Amino acid sequence: MVLTPDFDSRPVISFQHVWKTYPTGTEALRDINLVVPEGDFLFLVGPSGAGKSTLVRLLIREEKPTKGKIFVDGVEIGRMKRRKLPYYRRKIGLVFQDFKLLPNLTVYENVAFAMRVLGEPDRLVQARAAEALDTVGLAGKELTYPSNLSGGEQQRVAIARALVHAPRMIIADEPTGNLDPATAWEIMQLFLRINARGATVVMATHNREIVDLLRRRVVAIDAGQIARDDRSGRYHDDVSKSQVRAQ
Amino acid sequence: MYRNLKFALNSAWQSFWRNLAVSLAAVLSITLILILGGVNLLVGHAFSQVLDGFREKVSVISINVADDTPLQSVYSLQDQLKVDPRVAGVRFITKEQALDAFRHDPNNAVLAAQLDGNPLDAKIEVRVRNLSDVASIDTLARQWSGVDPTNPTNYQGDFVNRMLQLSQWLGYAGAGLLVILVIVSVVIVMNTIRTAVYHRRKEIEVMKLVGATEWFVRGPFVIEGVMTGLIAASIALLLLVIAYPPAVQQFKNDIAFIPLSYDPAFLSSLARDLLLGGALMGAVGSYIGVRRYVRI
Ligand SMILES: Nc1ncnc2c1ncn2[C@@H]1O[C@H](COP(=O)(O)OP(=O)(O)OP(=O)(O)O)[C@@H](O)[C@H]1O
Ligand SMILES: [Mg+2]
Repeated sequence: MVLTPDFDSRPVISFQHVWKTYPTGTEALRDINLVVPEGDFLFLVGPSGAGKSTLVRLLIREEKPTKGKIFVDGVEIGRMKRRKLPYYRRKIGLVFQDFKLLPNLTVYENVAFAMRVLGEPDRLVQARAAEALDTVGLAGKELTYPSNLSGGEQQRVAIARALVHAPRMIIADEPTGNLDPATAWEIMQLFLRINARGATVVMATHNREIVDLLRRRVVAIDAGQIARDDRSGRYHDDVSKSQVRAQ
Repeated sequence: MYRNLKFALNSAWQSFWRNLAVSLAAVLSITLILILGGVNLLVGHAFSQVLDGFREKVSVISINVADDTPLQSVYSLQDQLKVDPRVAGVRFITKEQALDAFRHDPNNAVLAAQLDGNPLDAKIEVRVRNLSDVASIDTLARQWSGVDPTNPTNYQGDFVNRMLQLSQWLGYAGAGLLVILVIVSVVIVMNTIRTAVYHRRKEIEVMKLVGATEWFVRGPFVIEGVMTGLIAASIALLLLVIAYPPAVQQFKNDIAFIPLSYDPAFLSSLARDLLLGGALMGAVGSYIGVRRYVRI
């Protein structure tokens, strides 16, 4: 079943016939068409090498599409000038599997860093960082260094950093990939809370249990193409699931 | 703006210390280069001091007047020269004045005593504005009807030309050496910055992801480059200031006939050149470095 986009809320993200071929010749994405309305919570699933991370990299404009157009907030980001790129990225909160924390900065400094590089005044930085750390449940750990935190806590710091400039869109590439199931679930709750506050969430994941339990929108990618787009989907589609059951 | 500057300064300072070995190697190399450059400037300055004295002398040409030339003819040449744009000044020296001057020169004491009558010519001394015009004034003088045909002027064309050429070649060589030194320093700074960028690649990646502008990311590296250049320039300057007076003294002892002197005024211009040069080379090297290695 292909999702008919919800036209009540305007699309934040729209992919129009997007192709991505890497310089190596790998065709990572082929003719992707995807509309994400504001406030959506979307899982990107698919086997390894399907093209999920490529889609994420296109979305944050780390890569440009080879063909086709990507609109975010009505702006075609493939054509965006390099000069404008930082301002675009400030509208997005990014979370990765490997956290990408700076080891020589404390928890507080890591979160504050994201605002400091924008040249924000100290008072605002302090207030927002404290708020973000509170949101992810890390109040009290401000002065700890990342190496002294568990994986789940490190990912919380990364999420706090993604939240600190109040983005309307969160993009996460396998944020629970390095976490045990219980911790992964806690982290996922956090994303749900952020989404409930109105932020659009796009998450590439391999976490079958969580996807199947939450029954949110699922876009399955296979060999660079969208194989499935279900409004409240599962990790595997029903056909293959029934095949699995039958065996 | 102020906050960004503070951040950049902080982060440049940290980076400098974090890669202390590389930073020091760069400072040392650039110090050596600036010392070479400074010595080059000092030698150039000393030479131009000597040359200035020489120019002063050879830019005055005296035209010897034949004894039978009427005064009217001398005056008309004098007037002609006075309005010539190439000429800075003209002075007529009569036979008597010439003899007087000759007698009063202690070097000529013996010769003067033996003089019978006045064998000296009257002279027109012409001060030429530009050394390269001396030759044409000389030609003009030799064509004048009143010139002493046996000894027309005191112009030594070959010598002047050779000196001029030598000074020109020395100038070129000095400039060429400076250009090479500048290029080497810029490349050294570029490589230092590349190392610094490599050490901070994680930080740069995070900055990129949270939306730091390109110049926010690059700024600290450029400041680090300028810092490296300035520190090197300060050390080089200190060493040169210490070594300059004794070097001049040594030179004077060894080669007394060249009128070289210690010139404290030159030190301030040397300080300006070295500090400005160091900072500029640091800025250019790191600018090229960050443009190549820090991309958003
Ligand atoms: N920078 C790159 N240069 C060349 N090929 C690349 C590059 N990045 C990814 N690819 C290729 O593009 C294809 C899609 O890769 P991508 O990383 O998007 O997959 P993925 O769905 O994220 O996989 P995984 O689940 O393992 O993370 C793969 O064949 C991969 O080898
Ligand atoms: Mg991936």
